[in-house]
Amino acid sequence: MGLDYQLVLWNKHKKTYDKIIAASMLLYIILFTVITLIFNSETSIETLVIRAFGSLAIIMLHVILVIGPLARLNTNFLPILYNRRHLGVSMFIAALIHGSFSMFQFHALGDVNPIYSLFTSNMDYGSLTNFPFQVLGFLALLILFVMASTSHDFFLGNLSARVWKRLHMMVYFAYALIFAHVFLGAFQQETSPFTIGIMMIGFVIVASLHLFTAFKERNIDTTKTVEIEGWLEVCHSSEIEENRAKIFTVDNERVAIFKYDGKLSAIHNVCKHQGGPLGEGKIIDGCITCPWHGYQYVPSNGKSPPPFTEKVATYELKLEGDIVYINPKAFDEGTEVKPCKL
Amino acid sequence: MTSGLRKAHTYIWLLLIIVVPVIMMLSIKDLNLFASENNTTSQLSGSKKTSLKSFENDILKMAVYDNHIEIILKSTLKNSSSVVYEMDEKGNKSAVIGQLTTAGIYNFNSNNLPKGIIIYDDIKQVEITKFPL
Repeated sequence: MGLDYQLVLWNKHKKTYDKIIAASMLLYIILFTVITLIFNSETSIETLVIRAFGSLAIIMLHVILVIGPLARLNTNFLPILYNRRHLGVSMFIAALIHGSFSMFQFHALGDVNPIYSLFTSNMDYGSLTNFPFQVLGFLALLILFVMASTSHDFFLGNLSARVWKRLHMMVYFAYALIFAHVFLGAFQQETSPFTIGIMMIGFVIVASLHLFTAFKERNIDTTKTVEIEGWLEVCHSSEIEENRAKIFTVDNERVAIFKYDGKLSAIHNVCKHQGGPLGEGKIIDGCITCPWHGYQYVPSNGKSPPPFTEKVATYELKLEGDIVYINPKAFDEGTEVKPCKL
Repeated sequence: MTSGLRKAHTYIWLLLIIVVPVIMMLSIKDLNLFASENNTTSQLSGSKKTSLKSFENDILKMAVYDNHIEIILKSTLKNSSSVVYEMDEKGNKSAVIGQLTTAGIYNFNSNNLPKGIIIYDDIKQVEITKFPL
């Protein structure tokens, strides 16, 4: 969490993750090159670059797509989620190298504009075996470019979290385009049960994790709470760990009830930064801290401590014996609510 | 995430598990995944057509008929470019007959019986194989 925009907000952990990303990418390219030269020494350097970086980008995209659901299922993956944007930009760079070399090899050496050539050199859209698959890859690359170029918090802050998130959900469309690009392109030329099988397994893993997480989350959303005179009975106070929260669904939205310093406070569960689950974070230095990127909020009013300006809705709580009740009607974002004393 | 975003993610993935497998199945249904390298039986075997000349090496089988040439590529060539040329009297490449890509059977029209065939990698400028007829 930083007040000023910087190109990259480095810290020790981010540097470590970025070194791991760079080293892994380099290792993959070296391995791919060595294996290709051993088993297919006739491959030209352009083809080698196209294949190495194309396959690298696809592998990285799969890794990126499983980080979200894995972090929902196991908090040990949260540090990787924290650095996912750098992984995404690195993946785009790999895809860009693949796309640039492909454009050069197949479209830049003629007498027409390479982009025009890309869209017109093959118009056989009715064929599956001769489909103009490069167009699909180009469209996917455009989406990845928009995502990479707007990944910085400057755009998140200026586009609003809602618009930014929707823009970045286009990655799923890009994912489908990339699948079509590979299956209608590379696999028509180099038919290998091994590579086709790998891609299928990759899709099954990614799709299964997303759907499993989605249905698990749906169960949380549909959990019934008992309503008594406008108050919802949610839990016993002893069920909430100190400096932690329990999450409940109130009017289709999730609310996090935090226990700290002998008090209880409830705020909307969604972080204003990137929609992180605040209730899965903890109280650090008296502030609720988002587990995704460390954005902080004061428990009693849902406001980020000055000079930051983010704020979330707050809720009223009451305690009867050990039982915690919540008023389902949210207060305006940043409204001070007296904490419920234990 | 808000409840709206959670729902959107769920619907997107439900759509993707339908769309992506359909793309995969449609695109591989016509591919001969396991037998492409063994498909060396001429499409004309059993017909009344008889070849005027034939040739075979490790890479391909070729048969010349009255008005066309059949080339059976035994396995996909590793070269980026595999252009089929007619051979002239001096043993050099002359007219382009066609291009080979993956393993399989290729039929090219040919009105004149060439002196031979040269398979040439035009990108690396190297001869892959040649044979006189």
